[in-house]
Amino acid sequence: MPIRNFSIIAHIDHGKSTLADRLLQATSAVSDRDRREQFLDDMDLERERGITIKASAVTVHHTYNGEDYQLNFIDTPGHVDFAYEVSRALTACEGALLVVDATQGVEAQTVANAYLAVDNNLELIPVVNKIDLPAADPDRVAMEIEQVLGLPAEDCIYCSAKTGKGIDELLDSICRILPAPRTSEIEQTRALIFDSHYDEYRGVIVYFRIFDGSLKLGDKIRMMGTGRTFTITELGRYTPYPTKVKEIGEAEVGFMVAAIKTLDDVRVGDTITLEHDPAAEPLPGYEEPKQMVYCDFYPATAAGDGKKGDYEDLREAMEKLHLNDASFTYDTTHSDALGFGFRCGFLGLLHMEIVQERIEREGGVEIVQTAPTVSYQVEKTDGELVEIHNPADLPDASVIKEIREPIVRLEIICPNANIGDLIKLCDARRGTFKEQKFLSDTRQILDYELPLGEIIYDFYDKLKSITRGYGTMDYEIIGYQPDRLAKVSILVNGVPVEALSLIAHKDNAEKRSRAILVKLKKQIDRHQFEIPLQAAIGGKIIARESIKAVRKNVTAKCYGGDITRKRKLLEKQKEGKKRMKTVGSVNIPQEAFMSILDQGE
Amino acid sequence: MRKPPPISIAQLTSDGASLQEKSPPQSAADLPLGTPRLLSGLYVHIPFCFHKCHYCDFYSIVDHKDRQAAFVDRLVSDFHAAAQHNIGAIQTIFIGGGTPTLLAVGLWERLLRALHATFEIACDVEFTVEANPETVTAELLNVLTAGGVNRLSIGAQSFDPAALKMLERWHDPANVQRSVSLARAAGIENINLDLIFAIPGETLIDWAHDLDTALALHPDHLSCYGLMYEPNTPMTMRLKQGKLHRADDELEAQMYQHTIDRLAQAGFEQYEISNWSLPGRRCQHNLLYWHNADWWACGPGAAAHVNGWRWKNIPRLDAYIDGDALPEIQDVEHLDEDGRIGEALMLRLRLLDGIASSELDSLLNATASGPLRRASIDRNLENGLLEVCDDTIRMTNRGLLLADSIVLELL
Ligand SMILES: Nc1nc2c(ncn2[C@@H]2O[C@H](COP(=O)(O)OP(=O)(O)OP(=O)(O)O)[C@@H](O)[C@H]2O)c(=O)[nH]1
Ligand code: SF4
Ligand SMILES: [Mg+2]
Repeated sequence: MPIRNFSIIAHIDHGKSTLADRLLQATSAVSDRDRREQFLDDMDLERERGITIKASAVTVHHTYNGEDYQLNFIDTPGHVDFAYEVSRALTACEGALLVVDATQGVEAQTVANAYLAVDNNLELIPVVNKIDLPAADPDRVAMEIEQVLGLPAEDCIYCSAKTGKGIDELLDSICRILPAPRTSEIEQTRALIFDSHYDEYRGVIVYFRIFDGSLKLGDKIRMMGTGRTFTITELGRYTPYPTKVKEIGEAEVGFMVAAIKTLDDVRVGDTITLEHDPAAEPLPGYEEPKQMVYCDFYPATAAGDGKKGDYEDLREAMEKLHLNDASFTYDTTHSDALGFGFRCGFLGLLHMEIVQERIEREGGVEIVQTAPTVSYQVEKTDGELVEIHNPADLPDASVIKEIREPIVRLEIICPNANIGDLIKLCDARRGTFKEQKFLSDTRQILDYELPLGEIIYDFYDKLKSITRGYGTMDYEIIGYQPDRLAKVSILVNGVPVEALSLIAHKDNAEKRSRAILVKLKKQIDRHQFEIPLQAAIGGKIIARESIKAVRKNVTAKCYGGDITRKRKLLEKQKEGKKRMKTVGSVNIPQEAFMSILDQGE
Repeated sequence: MRKPPPISIAQLTSDGASLQEKSPPQSAADLPLGTPRLLSGLYVHIPFCFHKCHYCDFYSIVDHKDRQAAFVDRLVSDFHAAAQHNIGAIQTIFIGGGTPTLLAVGLWERLLRALHATFEIACDVEFTVEANPETVTAELLNVLTAGGVNRLSIGAQSFDPAALKMLERWHDPANVQRSVSLARAAGIENINLDLIFAIPGETLIDWAHDLDTALALHPDHLSCYGLMYEPNTPMTMRLKQGKLHRADDELEAQMYQHTIDRLAQAGFEQYEISNWSLPGRRCQHNLLYWHNADWWACGPGAAAHVNGWRWKNIPRLDAYIDGDALPEIQDVEHLDEDGRIGEALMLRLRLLDGIASSELDSLLNATASGPLRRASIDRNLENGLLEVCDDTIRMTNRGLLLADSIVLELL
């Protein structure tokens, strides 16, 4: 039976998951009774937010020219944070549907994902989606695709993932245009692990694509990278319902269960071979995902008093989630202000937010999060190079030769009218102009190189507000560069609070510090004493503020009928206070730890 | 429909007393209060006002004269039911509201007669009635004194028409003086004036003037409150909408300090955060509250505390009038020992007599929270918010202004 393996890729919200719905429907994989929108987005968070977070692979059948084709396809996420998910999915495929919204046109992640696919030698089918919308302009969008990506406009397939128009033609094109998978190159079995997932009852579920040979139920397998061996106890495909099979053959995609207890025993990108007849060389794997931002998670309730209870709950929740998402990292850390917690690394801010939400939701623990920062490389005077993920870990200034920060290549797609303002924004963020190209007569592509630290927090929001929602961006790290960077310490009541420290450029450190102190002043309640707030580089104070002492906090009237209510009110205040962190006898609320994101603009 | 009281049967029976039924308590009769006992105090709530003041969160409804008689009838049956839980002589009675003086004279006669017929009342009882300066008449006062009332608490609030307007408090300041004179003439020896400071727009001089005006009337007792913004009142609404500005903390602190100084100079003793009296004139009824003593409550919206149980009669006139025997209750609460100690500390520290060290020790040694509470008290002693005086612990002047911050940690 002929096989076609492909991914669906696009800019966020251009309709990948909805298109996947139509493919499931047109191939009768999902009955009308079970139909629901974005069928493959089965995580609660995915459904709530309306976005895809994890790629999902399914197997369906389509008859083309009287022949039954097996189609294995992967719906991928569109958000820039999850580019790693996309790149993994692409290695399991020979082709990709590049979906472009007929009302929006080519966007930043359209370009980025298209290049990813081309780099992986994939055949692309450009699909212009949402043609049912009144504002759709498929011809213009097809021209953009031709101009920007070099894919002939006449090759575009027009469709609507909503009405189903064009879907049959698309299915035929998939069979006709996409290449058949390569045949086995060696006699031994080799399968690439492109994803894994933890199930409480069955252990790790491994998603794989077979390149050479086949896998059968009961086979004794070996992971070529880790050297671990297991016996396959379950094999199957998602159709999209999990369907057990006895064997998965050459070029096919499937999942397996093999009594694998932890995700540490499986590495995504590793090659599976057979224990009794192993392949000599593994398949090319993946690079480990690169964490872009770091922040600390602390349990919200332990008041930095060294109590372990909530810390242990948090650890358990982190371990559990890590089984399902190996792309974030976490290490134990301790802070004077916040007690025991974890320093965590994420692929981006959305990823951070999602991990936080999942830990709170699935683990039932509440988290205090510190402001995210990027990682820095520090060259010491003795030549040693250290990578730090936390301003608090910065070595003493006297032994630092230089601090290097991550630089990204940023690509912005925006309407012509906004170019001036965006250039201003990029320049203010220490950007270096690289290139400006026309994408169509109304839109342009702007290329900049700038520090990741300058775009990670609020840049995207600024871009959206400048372009009234029409601008999009994509970025990738291209290296590290030294600059005049320094650690700014924030002192509350004379005590430096490491969790509030940051690394800033010397030219705008003062302005940023002042903005942070003003924000802190609003967030910290008045105490019985005056609280000085200071920002310092080395020993030098560069900004200061103060919080006046509270003069009056008294319930004037408390008679018989008031007692219960007043007591409950005070108890509520006390609860609130418990959840704050105490530094130098000052209670700092959790939100305050995010105030260093304020750019001072 | 009434809300189910926020209490579980498990809590109820943990008291050791057994409960016949498994449903939440409908009235105080369902609570394991033990055998009838001597209650020191009785609070009676009269829920009528002729207008709703904008800072007020008491339960009261704008008076419909047509329901006063039915209300008093029902109150009498409430007295009868309550008397079954009370043996011995009542030491203090407080009739509050609302505006008790809005009740027709004839109904007052009936009420007072029933009170005496139902309860045993100590011969040296302190018997207070709250009065609105507009509604005090010689005729009414004669009925009150004949019925044993010996203390009048007049809601003066302010003598400044602008301030009264701000509070939407409808009375003529001149009527305060008239009420005091009438009360004196009727033989009432113990008079309290309620005053409010830190009203938006009020200056320190305005307040000093108010205080002097009040002193010139020679009251025996003064309650001076910093204005409180209670939830769900028009004042709070206006504050949230930015239509009025709360007095500055610093100014309010100055007004409070001035009150302390001025009243001391006039021979008054401050015995509670907001209460001052001439020697021997402390309000015995209110002291029951702060000493966590027992009192019974009659009338809708009235709160009681008996044998560790707190509850409140449902604040709805209709439901109250329709009932018989003991009224339906809500907000039933019975704290565990640790909670009760926290509450006791919260209330007792309001009093300037403070807590004797030995008593404090026994409170702190009783439960596991003792050391934490002790540490917090020590911190506040160090910070000068509490002080030790004649082997008692009490708040300092600065502590009084920060009382909530202090007791917060002791709960
Ligand atoms: N009118 C119309 N709406 C569509 C069409 N395709 C998708 N949509 C809508 O576009 C929105 C985004 O669709 P999704 O399928 O979730 O997009 P996605 O590309 O999977 O999004 P991410 O996974 O977050 O990157 C949803 O509200 C869809 O209902 C279409 O052909 N026509
Ligand atoms: S008179 Fe008293 S009870 Fe009535 S509304 Fe005014 S403040 Fe409230
Ligand atoms: Mg999707």
